[in-house]
Amino acid sequence: MTVPAQNPQTVKQPQVQQQEWFQHLLEDSPLADNENPVSLNKFRLSARQSMKTAPVLNRKQEAWRYNRVDEVFKNNFDLKLDAELKDFRNINEAIIENHQLPQLNSLKLVFVNGCFDKTMSNISHLPDGVILSSIAATLRENPEWLKAWFKLNDKYAEQPFNALNSALFKDGMYLHIGKRVKLDRPIEIIYLNSKKTRSLQHDGSMLLTRNIIHLQAGASAQLVEYFISKKNNKYFYNNVTEILLAEKAQLKHTRIQDESRMAYHLSSLYVSQKKHSKYHSSSFAFGGCWAKTDYKVDFEAQQSECDLYGLYTVGNQQLIDFHLDVQHSVPSCCSREKFKGLIYGKGRAVFDGRILVAKQAQHSDAALTNDNLLLVKDAEVYTKPQLEIYADDVKCSHGTTVGRLDPQQVFYLRSRGIDEAHARRMLCQGFSEDVVESVELEEVRTYLAKKIASTLNETEQQTV
Amino acid sequence: MLSVKNLQVKVDDKQILNGLDLSVNAGEVHAIMGPNGSGKSTLSHVLAGRDGYEVVGGQVLLNNENLLELSPEQRAHKGVFLAMQYPVELPGVNNMSFIREAINSIHRARNEEELGTIEFLQRIRKTAALLQLDEKLLKRNVNVGFSGGEKKRNEILQLAMLQPQLAILDETDSGLDIDALRVIAEGVNTLRSPQRAIILVTHYQRLLEYIQPDFVHVLLNGRIVRTGDKQLALELEQKGYNWIMEEDAA
Repeated sequence: MTVPAQNPQTVKQPQVQQQEWFQHLLEDSPLADNENPVSLNKFRLSARQSMKTAPVLNRKQEAWRYNRVDEVFKNNFDLKLDAELKDFRNINEAIIENHQLPQLNSLKLVFVNGCFDKTMSNISHLPDGVILSSIAATLRENPEWLKAWFKLNDKYAEQPFNALNSALFKDGMYLHIGKRVKLDRPIEIIYLNSKKTRSLQHDGSMLLTRNIIHLQAGASAQLVEYFISKKNNKYFYNNVTEILLAEKAQLKHTRIQDESRMAYHLSSLYVSQKKHSKYHSSSFAFGGCWAKTDYKVDFEAQQSECDLYGLYTVGNQQLIDFHLDVQHSVPSCCSREKFKGLIYGKGRAVFDGRILVAKQAQHSDAALTNDNLLLVKDAEVYTKPQLEIYADDVKCSHGTTVGRLDPQQVFYLRSRGIDEAHARRMLCQGFSEDVVESVELEEVRTYLAKKIASTLNETEQQTV
Repeated sequence: MLSVKNLQVKVDDKQILNGLDLSVNAGEVHAIMGPNGSGKSTLSHVLAGRDGYEVVGGQVLLNNENLLELSPEQRAHKGVFLAMQYPVELPGVNNMSFIREAINSIHRARNEEELGTIEFLQRIRKTAALLQLDEKLLKRNVNVGFSGGEKKRNEILQLAMLQPQLAILDETDSGLDIDALRVIAEGVNTLRSPQRAIILVTHYQRLLEYIQPDFVHVLLNGRIVRTGDKQLALELEQKGYNWIMEEDAA
């Protein structure tokens, strides 16, 4: 039997497909907008340029090896909708209500389909020394505040999704806290997707937000972010967050990604830390069919600290990926990375935790762990701790585990009258406990515990 | 209450219990003694429903109901409790919530009302005090970082809180110093009641000085070869098991 030759015109090389995918999005948007500040137009143009030369993403690159990024490029995302559903406030409020988010006395920003929604937000009565606004409004009203950012080398351009974000982001948050100002009220950001329509040509929207956070010397704040959507919505969320912590500044940061099981999600966080600054982050990933979160932390001066905690749950057909890259380039900094995964369906978890300790970074203190529980057969975990140490007087450790629930523990609980499913759930919640406990706000911890329990209820349905 | 007849159990194709017979009535305390490898722990585990044991013959009835058909949690609902020789640690699981969840699971299975928070707290504090268990341990994760003695006390705490019909204590005395042993034994003694049966599985006679058994059984090669009263335990303490082995072989 002969196999008919495939028509070469219909089969695209992956790199061609990828370039076209990015170009298609760029073509949707004008090159420069006269209403924009010149510095932004320059910034965007430079991002476009770098995309042309950016390497094609493929499995041969360590950062994308287990990520199945090709799947992303099979979808036609575009920029069409943006504010289309903005006026349907009741729909958007219903989505927030469905997620039963914690009730906090907070400053709140709501982004609907990537655009700031003033009516749903609450950022009035800010204390002195605090600027909290949408990026779009800041660009309109006070573009000079952002000038410094756009002068920065476009150092995020090596990765095309981030360059795409630079070229096209519509909105996001701008937070600036002045010297020694301690912001007591937490800031909440809700990123909400409510678009429902899909067509043959259109798989969903590409939503791009950019956050710029600058804490001046001695300032402190607490930030909680939620990515949520309507069930079964398909779209691509692309978020880039840049955080600059000046001397002795402290930021506590919780991120909860609970998007639709059809959604694609990419978050990139860039953290720069000055002397004695502290960055504490707890990151939770529950949703998405393809969800990747990248952290890059640069210690720029001595005695700074960063703690990265994370928990991911992976069900059927989900791919959840965390990449951490912590750069100890100066002496005497401390970093902790603790990530845990509950793999309860036929999905894939990818964890890559890199800690680089440069030659001059003596007295660095770094510890990384990644523990995974496989709750079903055919679940996949790719975990890779990478400690690259060039200094000789350091304290560094790492450890990763992939295991199953201990039958002895399950039996112990069952012998006390607790049924098997509940016993397993209790042990999984116990497994996640220290990551949940890393969140300071009690209301958020309670929300997370409930969320984990309800996710694990799905386990039973999936394993039956 | 409990009737074990001709029980035969294999572990990894090796026969451990070879036709064991045991009958326990409500209100009685039975001690099961025997050398290492005689099948003591196997018996405890089979009664509690642990995986990895293959019952190849015989029957076990609890109040005329086939116990072997029930899952471990169902056995607990029927009133079986096993205080384990090596209690496992449960990281991230709070001790107090765990015990409360256990009580309420049993209550739910029996269609009884759940225990109220205040009543639960009063009971657990009282019981912990009786067992001289530091109240801080109630707020910690189950058995995590507990000393050997604390783990055993925590087992007896659960026993006292769950109020089972049939309590099996698997080598609860092992690894305990004499003071801890006395406290635990006193705790167990308060649980003696006409409605409850207790099986003490032990190597040594020592525990039986504090908890006086009604019957002492000698388990050898997977069978009960001798049954007596507490005098038998004393005899074993003095003479060891060899004389019984010899007599049994004869």
